[in-house]
Amino acid sequence: MAVRQGELRPAVMQRVRTQPLLRYATGAFALTSFGIIFLMLLFLLAYAFPAIRFNGTAFFTSPIWNIGNQYGSATVTRAGFTAQAGASFGSLVFVSGTLLSSFLAMIAAVPLSLLVALAIVYRVPASLKPLANAVVELMAGVPSVIYGLWGMIVLVPFIGNRLSPTGSGDGLLAATLILALMVVPIMVATTRDVVQAQQASIYEASMALGSTSWQAVTRAVLPSVRSGIAGSVLLAFGRALGETMAVLMVCGAAINTLPHGIFSPINTIAAVIVSQLESALTDASGMAQRSLGELALALFVITLIVNAVARIVLHGGDRSGAIG
Amino acid sequence: MTVRAFARLTSHFWWALSIAALGLIIAILLSIFAFVIVRGAPALRPALFTTVTSGVAGGLANAIAGTLLLVSIGLVIAGVVGVGTALWVVEYAPQWAARAVRYMIDVLAGVPSIVVGYFLYVALVEGLGWGFSLVAGALSLAIFVLPYVERSADIALTNVPRELREASVAMGARQGVTMLSIDLPYAMPGILTGLLVAIGIGLGETAPLIYTAGWSNYLPTLAPTHSPVGYLTYVVWTYISQPFAASHALAYAAATLLMVFVFATNLIARSFVEYRFSGRHSH
Amino acid sequence: MLARRFAVALGLSVALASCSPAAGTVRLLETGSTLIYPLMNLWVAAYQGEHVDVEITTQSTGSGTGISQAIAGVAQIGASDAYMPDAAMREHPMLNVPLAISAQVIAYNLPGLGGVHLHLSGPLLAAIYGGRLAYWDDQRILAENAALRGRLPHRAIVPIRRSDGSGDTFIFTQYLSETTPSWRSGPGFGTTVSWPASGTVGANGNPGVLQTCEDAPYSIAYVGISFMDQVNGAHLGYAALRNRAGAYVLPTTPAIAAAAAALVSRTPRDERISLIDAPGAGSYPIINYEYAIVNPHQPTLQIERALAGFLEWTLSTRGGQRPVFLNAVHFIALPPVVARLSRDQVARITSP
Repeated sequence: MAVRQGELRPAVMQRVRTQPLLRYATGAFALTSFGIIFLMLLFLLAYAFPAIRFNGTAFFTSPIWNIGNQYGSATVTRAGFTAQAGASFGSLVFVSGTLLSSFLAMIAAVPLSLLVALAIVYRVPASLKPLANAVVELMAGVPSVIYGLWGMIVLVPFIGNRLSPTGSGDGLLAATLILALMVVPIMVATTRDVVQAQQASIYEASMALGSTSWQAVTRAVLPSVRSGIAGSVLLAFGRALGETMAVLMVCGAAINTLPHGIFSPINTIAAVIVSQLESALTDASGMAQRSLGELALALFVITLIVNAVARIVLHGGDRSGAIG
Repeated sequence: MTVRAFARLTSHFWWALSIAALGLIIAILLSIFAFVIVRGAPALRPALFTTVTSGVAGGLANAIAGTLLLVSIGLVIAGVVGVGTALWVVEYAPQWAARAVRYMIDVLAGVPSIVVGYFLYVALVEGLGWGFSLVAGALSLAIFVLPYVERSADIALTNVPRELREASVAMGARQGVTMLSIDLPYAMPGILTGLLVAIGIGLGETAPLIYTAGWSNYLPTLAPTHSPVGYLTYVVWTYISQPFAASHALAYAAATLLMVFVFATNLIARSFVEYRFSGRHSH
Repeated sequence: MLARRFAVALGLSVALASCSPAAGTVRLLETGSTLIYPLMNLWVAAYQGEHVDVEITTQSTGSGTGISQAIAGVAQIGASDAYMPDAAMREHPMLNVPLAISAQVIAYNLPGLGGVHLHLSGPLLAAIYGGRLAYWDDQRILAENAALRGRLPHRAIVPIRRSDGSGDTFIFTQYLSETTPSWRSGPGFGTTVSWPASGTVGANGNPGVLQTCEDAPYSIAYVGISFMDQVNGAHLGYAALRNRAGAYVLPTTPAIAAAAAALVSRTPRDERISLIDAPGAGSYPIINYEYAIVNPHQPTLQIERALAGFLEWTLSTRGGQRPVFLNAVHFIALPPVVARLSRDQVARITSP
């Protein structure tokens, strides 16, 4: 019978002196973790329900986002729910911006993170390793607002002056690069840890069989820690999907228009929630707020789908169950 | 060229590229740090730690105290719940339950911080009537960083070699003893990584705190509810938008402090772990 | 863990060091408009000096948040660049108390033309932001700027707007709506509007707008007047706008004051009025009242007194209306008649 990595063999399991208190205590924590996410999901569903009914399917197909005329008294009613006249909530711009920026960011960040992690484990001398590790973790500690400011003041002008045909650097490329920078430290830290912990005997065995050092790493060591790396990639992808402040400051805040190139302004779900929540609060009918809630729900669903797909794809090679 | 020579060449090429990648990351980090420190320098004085934020600029005493409180409480919550969850998932959970919990945790990582903050605003600040409060703020941070703590602990605990654990069982140790003296120490570097990443992310978040901790121009009162708390990222986010140079300097000074905190925490924690837990791994 | 113990110890020492407020200290929360936030900070710092028994925290969150938190009672003062609309007032009759007058500047980045003040009008700006006017040397711009024929380049205009909900957007779109019927029936006005898909770029906050304008040649942006110094410092030009009387006026203090004075007689008792496109040959067209949205029913006498005390100070010519505060942000003082109306509203604050 297949045993998960690290799991005790059945014969041994029988001899474990179990402590029910531990089981229930840790189980309670796990229930808390699961529960809090579930609660948020339920909250969003209840909160966004009026918007879901009001917006219908146009929510997914329309690029137009209009909270309606706040200063008139005309209202419009659909499916039993009311909003200000002219209101029309379509998420296409934000969903496309979120998916594009996150996917592109991961395409850039994953190879980069692997290279950096391998450099730290194999090429940095032991005396400098703590420093290298501290540098990487320091990157994780840069406030997202600072990434945004640095992006806005350093990166965007660079893109605008050197690369972009329109002269404006705010857009998909800037958002992608900033997101990539933000997720690199997460992946590097975990990859470095799992490689460091596992690698010695496998590496030496591979080298003894005549491989080059690079071959030993890529063909023997990395595959053995594949699930740990995959776990961190999923986590990083989640961060990219949900990042708000930094993206907000460099994405160009596109509204009502879809991107047509990497220099086009975009907008992401998280960024638009932050920038529009304020104005949504002026909506007397409340429909704008609830539509933002519907956007949050859409992001939730995207994350659910992406994680599910990733698991199906990766599960084939996952012996340990570490991905779940 | 022989296959072997080509393979060696390829190997050199990729290692060079990996070092270049590391160099790129270090260069970018230095650029960001220089960017922040140069602009914050005018405001970096000892008085920063003793005066509160007022007027155009002022000091950061209230924000520093608030950040420390919020992040420590949030981290304790996230650490306990996260490591506890990971222990359950690795030791006790049936396959289907482990999958479900890990899945949900990964989904949580994708929830924008603003959603967590607004959820708690509606549920706690308005719903339960707690108002802007320390507890709501700490909870928002705890929820937001929970995935990083749990997944790192999870991955680390999963990689504890089976032989070690079986040996412990063979010697008759109770489960708790095995966990405490075998699993956790072995997994400590990984758990620590998760906690440090969580500290970094928690220190740097603004959106969830705006809706839960609010903001206060005064030192925290330590009342768990009905009392807003200041925090450094608010200064960065808000004072950057002011038309005064002094405000900008204060904002960048706050950012510098944040990065220094993260750096110091990392160094201290890493050295501590090196000292206490070195020698457990076969290198 | 060492790190945690250190943090707890620090927290405890902070607890010991932080003085718990003396009995009788009232805590007020002001939240809302980012436009008035710099001025609020200056006011509160000065007021605290004289009144140590009141602790006022200021937040810059946005007009919408200001209004909603004032209504919810979470904040005592909701600062807003816009008065509450009728529908909202019917549900929540709040006091809309003007505290100061702010204005807006149209800045642009035209290399070589930094010192020149372009003549712009509402319909022109509506066409630019609506995507119907693409180039700087368009005939419609030249028609209003005959003196610049030959100097305006054949370059695409990059219109910059605010990505966050803001009072700046509110008054800018009000100006467009007042002057251009197609804009009024189209995007209309508000703290955020559904901008036509036209190549506009969104930036976060006034500094974001300024930064973007500085970095993108041939761009145009609307900026709050508190950032006038930064506009000049970045060598951006700013426009003379066409007012209701047809004259092109620069955003100088006399022009803003003239516009305010022209509408004083029309300001109703509840002071909810737009100051956009005021009559008068010397009036600058984009100005607005900065409002404090206040609940007339406060929970305790203590809060009522502290709140009314602070608001009256801000409205007093010996208090908040002094040039030392207003000049720092390029705002102007309330005309005396309006200040009196505001004080009348403040007097209506009661407690059980």
